[in-house]
Amino acid sequence: MDYVILSMVMLAIGVYGLLTKRHLLKIFISIELIATGATLNFVMLGTNSLGVSQALLILAFSTDTAVSAVILALLVLIRKKYGTSDISKIVIPEDMEQVGENKEAEH
Amino acid sequence: MIVEIVSGGLIISACLAIFLDEAVYSVAALASTFMLTALLYALSGAYYVAIFQFAVGIGTLSILFLSGEMLSEKPTTKTKLSSSVAVGVLGAVLALPAIFISISAPSAAVNAVSFGDALWNLDAVDVVLQGLVILTVAMGITIVLYQRKKSPRPKPKEAVQ
Repeated sequence: MDYVILSMVMLAIGVYGLLTKRHLLKIFISIELIATGATLNFVMLGTNSLGVSQALLILAFSTDTAVSAVILALLVLIRKKYGTSDISKIVIPEDMEQVGENKEAEH
Repeated sequence: MIVEIVSGGLIISACLAIFLDEAVYSVAALASTFMLTALLYALSGAYYVAIFQFAVGIGTLSILFLSGEMLSEKPTTKTKLSSSVAVGVLGAVLALPAIFISISAPSAAVNAVSFGDALWNLDAVDVVLQGLVILTVAMGITIVLYQRKKSPRPKPKEAVQ
């Protein structure tokens, strides 16, 4: 059983989801999987007999949770503002204005 | 042997979390990923980290269940069983290298705190039980919201003249 390969597989699944999925929640889940893979690697390779590695991991968990909270808040805001959770369908108004200006310039 | 089975389940649930169509099912698969990770830590002797992962996972999942319900649209298609099975098989195949190939030294997770100490002397059992209560409430609310979203809204009755 090799935990390095296990965490690498978790990382690969997370990166794949991050690159291919268009739903905001799936992207968030991919980020969580990447973080889980990283912490798994840290825990399993922790060699300090005083348990310092475990203590540091708890710090990492806390940071990860804080980051997750901020990301989730942003996702809910995006959903409320643009009315969709699909990032390919999100259209920013400034971009629309730019497209309109380009069309006018072409005419 | 148990560690290998847990590792396989971990990869399978991670794949399901990515590939399942409905947001609620994806979050449920992510929940099993977190729980299996905590179990893996406990099996490796890192009890305190396992309890912490369990508590943090419960908190994250409670929020995710609720916000997932807010972020997802009304489901139009049902997830096919065959596609779920295919993703499970893919996860099992991906887990094989971790089980059979070895490139590093064995795990060095240390047993600095015993499981009983972590639960009773360090009061981790309080955190875990409170987390379970919060998760239960969040899941109950999510199920109610999910059922409401699935069922069509009744048309408003016409005013009686």
